[in-house]
Parts: sequence; structure tokens; C-alpha cells
Amino acid sequence: MKLKPKVLAMVLAGGRVDELNVLTAHRPKSAVPVGGFARVIDFPLSNLMQSGLELVALLSQYRSFSLINHVGIGAAWDMSGRHRGVFVLPPYQGFGQSNWYRGTADAVYQNLDFVRYHSPETLLILSGDHIYNMDYREIIEYHRQKDADLTVACIQVPMKSAHRFGVAEIDDEDGERGGRILQYIEKPANPKFKWASMTIYCFKPQVLYEVLDINAREDDSFGFGQDIIPRLMADQRRVYGYKFKGYWGYTRTIEEYWQTNMDFLGAEPKIKIEEWGIRTNLEHRAIRDYQPLKVSNDGSIENSLAYNGCVIEGRVENSILFPGVHVKPGAVVKDSVLFFDNLVGRNAVLNKVVSDVNVIYGAGSRVGAEGDVQKKNTTVIGWNNHLPDGMVIGSGCTLYPDLPPEKMVAEIIDGEVVR
Amino acid sequence: MRNLDNPLVLLLAGGVGSRLNLLVQTRAKPAVPFAGFYRIIDFSLSNVMNAGFPHVGVLTQYKPLSLMRHLGTGDAWDLSGRIRGVKILPPRTGAKDSDWYKGTADAVRQNIDFIQAHPSREIVILSGDHIYRMDLEDMLRHHRRKEADVTIGMMVVPKSEIHQFGAGITNDEGRIIEWEEKPKVPRTNLASMGIYVFDTEYLLKILTENREESDFGMHLLPKAIERDNVFAYPFHGYWRDVGTIQAYWEANMDVIRPDSDISPQAWGIRPNPYAESLAADRCSARFKSGSSVHNSMISAGCVIEGEVVNSVLSPGVRVGKNVLVKDSVILHDCVLEEGARVDLAILDKRVRVGKGAVVGTGKDKKIANKEHPKHLYTGISLLGKEVVIPAGAVIGRNCIISPYRKPEDFSSLNIASGETI
Repeated sequence: MKLKPKVLAMVLAGGRVDELNVLTAHRPKSAVPVGGFARVIDFPLSNLMQSGLELVALLSQYRSFSLINHVGIGAAWDMSGRHRGVFVLPPYQGFGQSNWYRGTADAVYQNLDFVRYHSPETLLILSGDHIYNMDYREIIEYHRQKDADLTVACIQVPMKSAHRFGVAEIDDEDGERGGRILQYIEKPANPKFKWASMTIYCFKPQVLYEVLDINAREDDSFGFGQDIIPRLMADQRRVYGYKFKGYWGYTRTIEEYWQTNMDFLGAEPKIKIEEWGIRTNLEHRAIRDYQPLKVSNDGSIENSLAYNGCVIEGRVENSILFPGVHVKPGAVVKDSVLFFDNLVGRNAVLNKVVSDVNVIYGAGSRVGAEGDVQKKNTTVIGWNNHLPDGMVIGSGCTLYPDLPPEKMVAEIIDGEVVR
Repeated sequence: MRNLDNPLVLLLAGGVGSRLNLLVQTRAKPAVPFAGFYRIIDFSLSNVMNAGFPHVGVLTQYKPLSLMRHLGTGDAWDLSGRIRGVKILPPRTGAKDSDWYKGTADAVRQNIDFIQAHPSREIVILSGDHIYRMDLEDMLRHHRRKEADVTIGMMVVPKSEIHQFGAGITNDEGRIIEWEEKPKVPRTNLASMGIYVFDTEYLLKILTENREESDFGMHLLPKAIERDNVFAYPFHGYWRDVGTIQAYWEANMDVIRPDSDISPQAWGIRPNPYAESLAADRCSARFKSGSSVHNSMISAGCVIEGEVVNSVLSPGVRVGKNVLVKDSVILHDCVLEEGARVDLAILDKRVRVGKGAVVGTGKDKKIANKEHPKHLYTGISLLGKEVVIPAGAVIGRNCIISPYRKPEDFSSLNIASGETI
């Protein structure tokens, strides 16, 4: 069976991430739009496609419709065919116990029959929540060379933020490429190592089956970082760290999410989107039906990304416009991220705003920070809101999705949350 | 059970369209890109889709490859499914009728078996060459209401242009009583758009009456008008045959005019984003600091550092620093290097304009192209596929650079207006 894939990839795409606020009110983190046309999940899926790994399972739990709808039959990433496919694995009821996924490891554990059916030589398990460009063939190659039981992709982070990650001490076995993990601590209060786990794991399947089985029987929590890696370390298994040097967009808060979007911009963007080969599903929201974007005679757009279907009659700076955004004459959009089909009315001013889909900004409305944006917080507007003409909203505000007209008062001050 | 209420559509997409010059050197006219990432045939196909007609035969003959690739399974226009489909009908050899298509009627005649295999009360015949939006369902209703044998889509055009069309004179009930094919002296301003609804049985009858008659406009329609019930279906709105370089350029400019009444998106026109990764592999357009874009259409995947004015850019075009693009149509993945200037030009796919090169310069725009004075005479210069213009070159008005020409093919860096390489 020459065509049978040797690697099965499992993407953990079920999480909500509370800090992302209203952006994950109706969709999992992995389905959040990012970078002007794509969703977060498009990054790992496109990485898989570019790495020639086209047998993929998506573990999805929270508000999975948006994700399932987005992935479709997987054809956008060439993942449809005799030996190729994307399989969505939701939680399910069984004969014995029936549970929601209680953690990342439990999600895989509950689907071990699926994994065993495909009997891969190597299991690649990765989070669907991050923005990066990686050729997974390299970590898989390293994993095989080392005959490792588990290989974890790691990236260097500043010591002051290391407490947010699982961190590892990696020996010098293969220098720049990687080495054996000597110690691993999940989210330590006082971190001593700077190599953070990117939650990208290569497993020898048999080893994973065993450790998941013990985890399910003996532990009270079911996370790869918290439980599985420490168990393998304690058992003196061959656990290796693969050192990744590229960009990694870790977006757990609104400010990080905003910053990651800004990393697509600039004279030398950190995210060179033109070179990353990211694909999205053009059927989702029918973005394939948009015509090329139009800039009117008086419109202007600089240091920005904008997709088909946009109409720019006002001024756009340092911003990201998703398909179908219309900026009317006299309006100014700065340092903002506007999702699909936003309408910015005449003379409206938006500063450091992240705006979910289908928001209408009335004429002359003013939203977000004034002055130095780096020092101000982002204002987040949930989907399907209609801001009346002349409305004023400060910085660091949150508007929940679908607010009724009576909630749209004339002024909302800095930091306020309207729900 | 096939629903006889749905007409069968035949789309004539075989013409050479030679007045489009080198734009049709490697592709059929209906496959010529338009307004960014559409192709001309998308307009006719989308009109069919929006009318809900489920079955289309596309009659091809000239360089059909890029057209066939573009049509794919017909999915893009919702033309794939249990009772839906788009079929390519190239000329073929057989027991009888083994020849190239000799004209519009001959092409249809050679596919009578296709018509018989798809029983329907009416046949809708369209050309794949036009930019327009039309409610074909309404035209079909009109045809049935009038109990016509043939209904012809017709519109009012300036009398000075009537010599390019079939012209009809109608009576009070909209019946066509007289017909002149491309009249030198106009007697009417009602022109045929080359859009017909035929009663199927009637069509089969007149096609088999005289097998020498090869063209609808010249042979079959005048006879039908004399003998039978031929009605005009009046059309109002934008319609353009983009069969010449001048018309092609003007139609592109019509899309970006501030008061433009043509919008592919609002019209429900769909491209095929999957064919040749036309759109599937494109990220957002990037506008760098210091760039400036006015009154233009920019497709996904473009990177703009310079200035773009009154122009239409297809996906993946790179406009470098200090570049000025004006009044131009730039097709896919062209690269305009630093300091280049492009004024009043059409660039086919993957053209590279070297540093500081100038395409389209000279006050006198009336020096027509010497080899093709009827194709280029208003100042538009035309650069073929994958041409590489050397750095510092200066190219005049109404120039033609043939596809795949590289810097070593230029004997001089100065190409005077009207010259061809």
C-alpha cells in the first residue's frame, strides 16, 4: 500500500480561549479570522498541505459549526481523495461512559479507535490555534532519526513570559536542531528555561496508546503539557525537543491578537504572508464571489492589507480589511482589524478597533483610542452591531454581539463593557 | 424525469476574435481575462446560472485549452449535479458532418445529436463574447408569451455603429418584419445581440432544410423573418462586444468609472477561482507605506508600493517603488520594477517591466501601429504574455511587443510609436 499515508495529523481545534472575548462568542479560537482573508486554522492546515501531510483529523468541541463549515470537505487544502481527507471528530456518546473532551489528551484518547484504524507510523498532534509557518517534515524527520518516543517543537521565548508555557531544558545533542529534553515543567511560576512548547508533538503511536491509557485510569486531568509529557519524562522515555526559529503568533489575549495582525504589516513584515502559501476556503462566506477591490478617486490606503470585495472611498492606514469591507468617503480607519462585510459610514473614525463581521458604523461615529495607540487598549466590537450616527466609543471597550438599539447610547467611555 | 420546461443552452465560444490581436494568440476570445480575475465567458455563463437553466453545451473550436481549463466541471456556476452540467462540444469527425465548424448555424447543426440527447422545448443560443447582464428567464417568458418560433435579444445602438450588427425593423407588437445583416446604410438603430431563443422543433427544421447555410445572422434568420414568427426581446442596459483592443480597454475602464453601471459582483457574475489557482492561492492585496491608488480596481495577491491611477490590476501584480501605472489593464502576475512607468497599455500575464523602463510615451497617440493599424490607433500599447522589457527601455504609443520577447530581442532600447517587435 504505497499510497497509504505514514503520518496521521490530529489538530486540536476545539478550544474557546476566554480572553479573546467576543471574538470567540460564536466560534472556536481556530475559526477566528486573522490576517485579512484567512482563519487561524488555515495556518496549520496550509502548513500540513505544504508539508504533503493530507490525512488530518480535527478535534472540535466548542461551537464547532463555524469550523466545520470552514473546513468543508477539505478540498481547499487538497485534502480530499482516496488517501487524503479531513475528518472532524466531535465528542460523542458511547456504550460505556460518555464525556465531553476533558482536555487535549482526553480528546485524542476518546478517538483512539480512529487512530488505530489508520495505524500511522507517526502521529503528529498539534494545536490549531497558532499563527506560524512550519514544514512539519523536518520535525518528523528528526523524530525518526532520534527514534524518539515523543518530539516536542519548542521556540525560545523571553524569560518573563515563559511562565505562560510549558518550558523545557534541551541538551546540546544536535546543537541548533534540537536535543533530548532533560526537564519539562508546565507553566512554572518561576521559569528557569526559555524553550517553550509550541504544542506540536510527534508521537510513536504505541507509546501514546500506553500513556493515554494510564492517564485515563489514574489521573484527574488530561492535558498533553500538564500530564502526558511529565509522565513520559518520569518514565525516562526518549523525549526530544525540536528547535524552531521562525515566527510564532501566540494569541491568547485581545492585545496579542491585535499585535499578531499588525505583524502582517510594515516595511519588513514579520509575517511574510505572500511567502507562506496560506490557503483558505473560498466557499466560506462565499468570498470567491467578491470582485476585485476598488479604490475611489478620493480614497487612499497605505501600509494595509485588503481583500477582494472591499470598497475604499475614505482613508485606511495600518489596517487589515477582510473581504467586503466598505469605507465611505471621509471615514478614517487606522490601526484596526475589520472582519468581513463591515460598513464604515461617512466621516466615521476608527482607531485601534477589532471589529467582528457585519458591523455598521454610522456616519460621524468615533470609535477607539485617540493618540498613541501602543499605550491604549483595543476596542472590540462583536458581530452584527449597528452603531448609530455620531456614536462615540472609547478605547479598551467591548461591545457584545447583536446588541439591541437601546444599548447603543450616545457615548461609551474608555474600558466599558456593553453586554 | 427531465423537466422540459428548462431550455437547453448552447454557448458559442469558438470564434477567433482576431481583432483582439495577441490577447487571443494563446487563448480563445471568451477566455480572455477581464476586470481583474473574470474571463469574458463568465458573464454569459453567470447569466445562465442566474436564470437557473441547468444544461449548457459550449461549442469550442479555436484554442480551446484555457477555456476548457476555466470551465472545469462547471461547479463555479452551479452547473454540476444530477441534472445539471456543462459539456464541451468541439468539432469532431464522424460518419457524416465531419468538418470544422463553418459558422454559427453550422456549429449548432453539427451538434444536433447533443440537442436530441437533451430534450427541451426551447434552445437558448448565446455568444460567449459579451460583457452584460441579462435576465434570460424573462426573455424565455417573453418568447413563450409571443408564441414565437425565434426570439432575438435586441438593443438600441447609435446609428453610426449599426454596420457592425444584424439590424431588425419591428412592428407594433415587437415582431421583426425586416432584417439587414451589417447594413452599410442604417434604416434602424435596433441591433441584434446574438442572443436567440429558438423553439427546438423549429430550429431542427430550419437547420436541416438547407445544409449549406452556415450562419444564423446571414442565412437562417432573414429567411425565418420572412416566413415565420420572429420577435425581438428588447434589452436595456450595459452590453458590450469586447471584440477589439479598443473595446476591451474601454470596457475595463467602464468598470472603474466613478459612475460606473457595471459591477460583476452586483450582477452576480462568478469567476472560477479554482482554475489555474486563479484566486485560491492569493492572499490579501498589500498596500505599502508611500503607495497611492486612485480610481482603480486591485485584485487579491497584488503588492503595491508605487502609484496606480485609473487602472485594473489582475491578481498577483507587483508595482514597485516609484512606479506609475496609469489608464492601463495589467493581467496576472506582472512585475513592474522600481521607477517603471506604464501609461495607456494592456499587459498580458507575467510581463516584467525592467527598472526605469517606460511603456507608452509620446504626445501623438494617433500614430497607428504599422502592422495592425486597425487594431491599435488610439495610443494603447500591447505587451504579450511573459514579455520582459529591458531596464531603461522607452516604448512609444500603439506599439506591440509579441509574447515571450526577452531583452535580447530588443535591438534598441527605444521603440518608436507604431512599431512592433
